[in-house]
Amino acid sequence: MVKILQIEGISLQFGGVKALNDVSFHIEEGEIFSLIGPNGAGKTSMLNCISGLYHPSQGSIKYKDEEITKMKAYSRTNLGIARAFQNIALFEHMSVLDNLMLGRHTLMKSGPFSGGFYFGKAEKEEVDNREHVEQVIEFLDLQEIRHTPVERLAYGQQKRVEVGRALALSPELILLDEPMAGMNKVEKERMAQLILKMKDNGITVVLIEHDLGVVMRLSDHIAVLDFGKQIGFGTPNEVQENPEVIKAYIGENVS
Amino acid sequence: MKSILGKNLGNYRTSYRADMALLNSRNKKIGMVILLLVIFLLPMFASNYFIGLMTLCIISSIGAIGLNILTGFTGQISIGVGAFLGVGGYASAILTTSMGYSFWIALPLAGIITAIIGGLFGIPSLRLKGLYLAIATLAAQFVILFIIRRWVSLTNGTSGMVLQRPTIGDFALSSNTSYYYLSAIAFLLSAFYAINLVRSRTGRAFFAVRDRDMAAQIMGINLFKYKVMAFAISSFFIGIAGSLLAHYTMIVSPEFYEINVSIQYLAMILIGGLGSVFGSILGAFFITLLPVVLNIIVGSLSGILTDLSHILSAFEEFVFGAVIILFLIFEPGGLAHMWSNTVNYFKKWPFSY
Repeated sequence: MVKILQIEGISLQFGGVKALNDVSFHIEEGEIFSLIGPNGAGKTSMLNCISGLYHPSQGSIKYKDEEITKMKAYSRTNLGIARAFQNIALFEHMSVLDNLMLGRHTLMKSGPFSGGFYFGKAEKEEVDNREHVEQVIEFLDLQEIRHTPVERLAYGQQKRVEVGRALALSPELILLDEPMAGMNKVEKERMAQLILKMKDNGITVVLIEHDLGVVMRLSDHIAVLDFGKQIGFGTPNEVQENPEVIKAYIGENVS
Repeated sequence: MKSILGKNLGNYRTSYRADMALLNSRNKKIGMVILLLVIFLLPMFASNYFIGLMTLCIISSIGAIGLNILTGFTGQISIGVGAFLGVGGYASAILTTSMGYSFWIALPLAGIITAIIGGLFGIPSLRLKGLYLAIATLAAQFVILFIIRRWVSLTNGTSGMVLQRPTIGDFALSSNTSYYYLSAIAFLLSAFYAINLVRSRTGRAFFAVRDRDMAAQIMGINLFKYKVMAFAISSFFIGIAGSLLAHYTMIVSPEFYEINVSIQYLAMILIGGLGSVFGSILGAFFITLLPVVLNIIVGSLSGILTDLSHILSAFEEFVFGAVIILFLIFEPGGLAHMWSNTVNYFKKWPFSY
């Protein structure tokens, strides 16, 4: 298997606090990879390092053998890395459609001149990308709400739009930060199906999720973080049997 | 299906292109034609004074659209509009009066020069947000005016400069009507550009920067590039408005570009509606016509209450402040929002929603 992302010895420091301490793992192309750990373990910090919002103090991140540790966040998007946020970070005054169209920002070209006069090339580009966005809308079942401003949607719908915006980018690597948080069983099942479909379409998925049942069922590989340290890495079965992971999640035997 | 008032209900479009068209219904097309007719036939019915007022309104609209691109769309507050109008006006004055270029070259150049200077003052926006950026643009206001006052060899200092009305061949646009047509064309082009900008890629990126800059970065938007671009585009329009205004009044002088002008333009977009091209236009008309209407009211009252007339002369500032406060409290969406509420009410009448 080809390694799409290689994380080597990443440390992230905020003043005296070590949010991440020498974390290393790798993600294979086309797999579903999960990042788990108790609250505050550094999972979201890790994603922030991958998507470029944080810059680690040590270590290196390689995407398809290209060094991206120091690359700006917006340039990483050009490489095909998309991200859905945990605390929904949609543009709430804009419609669902505009949010998804923003997902296609890097794939479009029109600038302030062609866009301002619109007709011709810019219009064609808008329509072409709209067609692509409509596929995402269909995939996520957002047809009825496509013109609704995001702020008026229910939480579960917003969560789906958040994932949709990342998908609109036609990414090769998608980072999903707790896409199922706050969902009921039916909604979770639906999201799990979507994630499997993404995998079928050849997208590599990085998943942060607290529902271990879902994680064990979906993932090909798992990395476990605890207090910024990596305490486990491997297939679901290997991780489940790892004594350190059991210790972090359940605690030690007192007797 | 049609509502009781004969409006079409429902969405009948069969292609995305039709759905995304600017005038995507027959009523909108008819409305547009009527609007254009009103704009171009107005001088046949209105008095010279009224046409002059309208010219001021539409020139302010260009400036307000510019400011709204920066403050309403991109969320970068600017209190430097007055000075940027000054840059446009002085650039035009220096190019035509001192250097002898034609107005038709000076007008776009004034826009471009203002865009460059605006872009430069936009550079701090990467690090500064909200009120802090507002103070930085306030600095622009004072620095630019200081330079205009002190660089006497270029700007003639506090005594100002005199400009000529533009000419086409031998025909000078010296009448109010001809200048009104010139401004109207510039205004329509600006509005057309701004409306299209908003619904295309660049406009969406501006909105993204305003709403959530962190997520915007993840969408692949270079914050710095788009913030500076917003400053430049916004300043371009303000420069054009400044140049048109200077050639209309035929004089530029530092006191025309003081900070109260900046506040007036901010009031226009606040009252009109932040983030709305249509709102900028409504707000510009509102703020430009407000003192005129108040004058008429005070004038008619002074016949009855003679002693009050000199007290009422301070009335204007009072109403100006009160209107802004009332809008902020009761209709933060501005006139544009009030308009769309009214339209929707009639669309759905007799049902409430």
